[in-house]
Amino acid sequence: MDYFLTDSQKIIKRLAKKISDEVISKVAGKYDKEGIFPRDILDLLAYTELTGVYIPKEYGGFGGGVLEMCLVVEELSRNCAGIAVSYAATALGAYPIMLYGTENQKKKYLPKIAKGEAIAAFALTEADAGSDVSSIKTVAEKDGDFYILNGNKHWITNGGEADIYVVFAVTDKSKGPRGISAFIVEKGYEGFYCGKKEDKMGIRASSTTELIFENCKVPKENLLGREGTGFIIAMKTFDRTRPGVAAMAIGIAQGAYEHALRYAKERIQFGQPLTSFQAIQHMLADMYINIEAARALLYSTCRMIDSGAKDYTKESSACKVFASDVAMKITIDAVQIMGGNGYVKDYPVEKMMRDAKVTQIFEGANQIQRNIIASEIVKEL
Amino acid sequence: MNILVCVKQIVDPDKIEYNSTTKTIKRSSQHLMNNPADLNALEFALRLKDIFPDSRVYTLSMGSLECKEKVKELIELGVDEAILLSDKRLAGSDASATSYALSCAIETLERFDLILCGDHSLDGETSIVPPQIAEYLGICHIASVVDIKPKDKDTLEIVKKVENILAKFEVKLPMLLSVKKDSNFVRFPKLSFMIRALSYEPKVLSLDDLRDIDVKRIGLEGSKTAVDDFEKEKMESISCKIYEQGSISEIECIAEVILKFI
Ligand SMILES: Cc1cc2nc3c(=O)[nH]c(=O)nc-3n(C[C@H](O)[C@H](O)[C@H](O)COP(=O)(O)OP(=O)(O)OC[C@H]3O[C@@H](n4cnc5c(N)ncnc54)[C@H](O)[C@@H]3O)c2cc1C
Repeated sequence: MDYFLTDSQKIIKRLAKKISDEVISKVAGKYDKEGIFPRDILDLLAYTELTGVYIPKEYGGFGGGVLEMCLVVEELSRNCAGIAVSYAATALGAYPIMLYGTENQKKKYLPKIAKGEAIAAFALTEADAGSDVSSIKTVAEKDGDFYILNGNKHWITNGGEADIYVVFAVTDKSKGPRGISAFIVEKGYEGFYCGKKEDKMGIRASSTTELIFENCKVPKENLLGREGTGFIIAMKTFDRTRPGVAAMAIGIAQGAYEHALRYAKERIQFGQPLTSFQAIQHMLADMYINIEAARALLYSTCRMIDSGAKDYTKESSACKVFASDVAMKITIDAVQIMGGNGYVKDYPVEKMMRDAKVTQIFEGANQIQRNIIASEIVKEL
Repeated sequence: MNILVCVKQIVDPDKIEYNSTTKTIKRSSQHLMNNPADLNALEFALRLKDIFPDSRVYTLSMGSLECKEKVKELIELGVDEAILLSDKRLAGSDASATSYALSCAIETLERFDLILCGDHSLDGETSIVPPQIAEYLGICHIASVVDIKPKDKDTLEIVKKVENILAKFEVKLPMLLSVKKDSNFVRFPKLSFMIRALSYEPKVLSLDDLRDIDVKRIGLEGSKTAVDDFEKEKMESISCKIYEQGSISEIECIAEVILKFI
């Protein structure tokens, strides 16, 4: 399918594909098995300037939008979503600053992210606040020129590795979701520690950790937006970054499909290649149809966002849900097509099946996304 | 530092086809690639530019206009200016005529402190173009270079590898070095260079642009050598001797053979 990408989008895709095929494909298995954080790949992305594709030119980026970010995530994910998520989570940490940062905050943090000198993270989830984000308990109390943060965050991608964290904390308990605020916390701030690293099923090259705040002193100029706007900041950020999860899912699905197709063509049973059996042909055809449908929905959503649409919550949720469900189905089928070989670590589809699962869970589980879509379409009626 | 790298566009060796009537390689544009050893030479040039950022890296290629697309890939890596010497009269030039034409182009262009070449092209395999260019230009040449580091702006420390022997040299510029394939890891393109390459037009020179070129010394007629015939080497079937319950002397003999190889 020709998506009529612009020349610069085609270049971004080609460069990300080259890195994915020539470097990531070679290390994906090892990084997954040993849980190695892909700092070297992030350095390569920085060298090639892909770290800044979605950051405005005035802050040292390339000036692209969500589509440019997604093209990179998709290509990297074709070979390793674990590596891609380290890149995507930096975007998740950068977007709140791009959307709500003051000029000073943007000038201070965005050029470093664009140049790949700093990795970012987004810290919202807590042990008792996953889907129900407004029940977070981390608190921020104003004390002179500082906010004092106390509490724990769970499941934070790039935890321990990131230099810049956007952290959500309650500034006014009495106001519920309207009492949440967002802060920029730098690695090394007094009272800010990284806790346990999760031992995950998939995306094992990424670092997912607990974050601990014990009387962590955050300068008051690091408040993002105004006090009480944290919940809105989180939701508006997700609207722009859920397409990134869709891109990750499509990349995984595309990778699994390519492996399964090649394998089915070469594997001979009953004297003929697997591709000669209609049962297999239909699975491959369904893979193709679903990937293209998911990609078409993703790119359309990205274009809608990048052309300045005001509200795109349901579109952003829809592409995330659809692509992640497609990725799960396709990776399961890819393992099926490859039989025993699909089930062992000598081939990458086993890893892809494990990696696909998380795209249905994080940045809002798919059930929550369906809740969001339903409430939007009912509201519009 | 002004650095020039000679980069040849060759036909991908896996897709190579010979034209037995014209005795030349069929050059179809879709199978063109930049010669790998030349890219290793370019990598050393770009590393010098990393150290001395005010340096300029030029590339010079000779070939048909179809080579332009591949020349643009050099811009994607960070080359400042890419030059393509393209003229129908150059067709059929042998190594000697090629070296002569390239050296005339180099003399027309700039004063270069350093000229780098790959030490052989995967299609021609002659390895004699770099030393001949150096001869025409009257500068020194070292072949089989595997490492280049600057000592200062006009002195380089280089390592040359022949068989298993590494020899280190300190050389004064100007100089021509030919670099062995795989002697470094060729860098990735950069987004901003790729954007530049999109609208970049390589500077195309014809023979009329070259100073003092004697057109009788180039092309098929000006060539000193002519290809007689191409033949694909037939791999002899390797004879294999199976030793069963070999005697001690036979085992010792096998051990000797193995030792020779390791
Ligand atoms: C690898 C990984 C990385 C992550 N990275 C980050 C990060 O960088 N930053 C961050 O802040 N968070 C991060 N998260 C957290 C992630 O966003 C949450 O895990 C997710 O939102 C789900 O929350 P939960 O795990 O607490 O599940 P729960 O909220 O306990 O939900 C469990 C199940 O119940 C369902 N459910 C819950 N409520 C409803 C409902 N109202 N209606 C229907 N079904 C419901 C869910 O769909 C889900 O399947 C990460 C998680 C993982 C696994």
